[in-house]
Amino acid sequence: MKERNNKIPFPEDNYTHNINRDNERKLDRRGFMKTLVGAAGVFAVSSLPWGAVAAKELMGLGEKEYPHKKIADLNNLPIGDAVEFKFPGEHDDAILIRLGEEKFVAYQNACTHLRCPVFWVKEQGEMVCPCHHGKFDVETGAPTAGPPRRPLPEIQVEVNQGAVYAVRVKRYEA
Amino acid sequence: MKRSYIGVLLLSAVLFLNIIFTQYMVHQYFYENYVNTLIFCGLNIVMFPIAFFLYKKTKKA
Repeated sequence: MKERNNKIPFPEDNYTHNINRDNERKLDRRGFMKTLVGAAGVFAVSSLPWGAVAAKELMGLGEKEYPHKKIADLNNLPIGDAVEFKFPGEHDDAILIRLGEEKFVAYQNACTHLRCPVFWVKEQGEMVCPCHHGKFDVETGAPTAGPPRRPLPEIQVEVNQGAVYAVRVKRYEA
Repeated sequence: MKRSYIGVLLLSAVLFLNIIFTQYMVHQYFYENYVNTLIFCGLNIVMFPIAFFLYKKTKKA
């Protein structure tokens, strides 16, 4: 190695020109600062989906309005009675209960335990799932007894010209 | 060679704020306070240019 002139053309203490591999694995001050800037970038990018989903919720895109569907005529539904219907899809069983002259509640009546159809027991004033005796509060749809732990999804209804219409399914709220 | 570690300290503070904002953002999302979620998301995004600016300013220090 006589040809070697032992002159270094420029300081070699950096990552890309480090022929002698001095301090190759050392995380120096500047490298550490670069890492921190990169971390800030990762945080910024990973915030984006949260912001997007929050903005979507704010703009009300999560609350979808379905075409209004007629459930029953007021004359055919005495106070305290229930009628079953499908909303919003063909196979989404739901139940409408008339609690008062102007008071209606409607739920998708697939039990939140194992999706058996929940029915309305007028005498006891509660909604019962026949499979495992789960019970739901008729006012709120909240589970009151048995295995189900989540409330029934509520359907908003609207009375219009002597008939009850289903409008939309309320957001699931824990 | 005597180094100034002010940049390291500032960038560490930025990272600390990032962690706090992210925590708040996620929690406010699940509490359904979506405006607060957007605020913390914006703060988190703004922290990146700030961090880059701080790095530019202090890398030679």
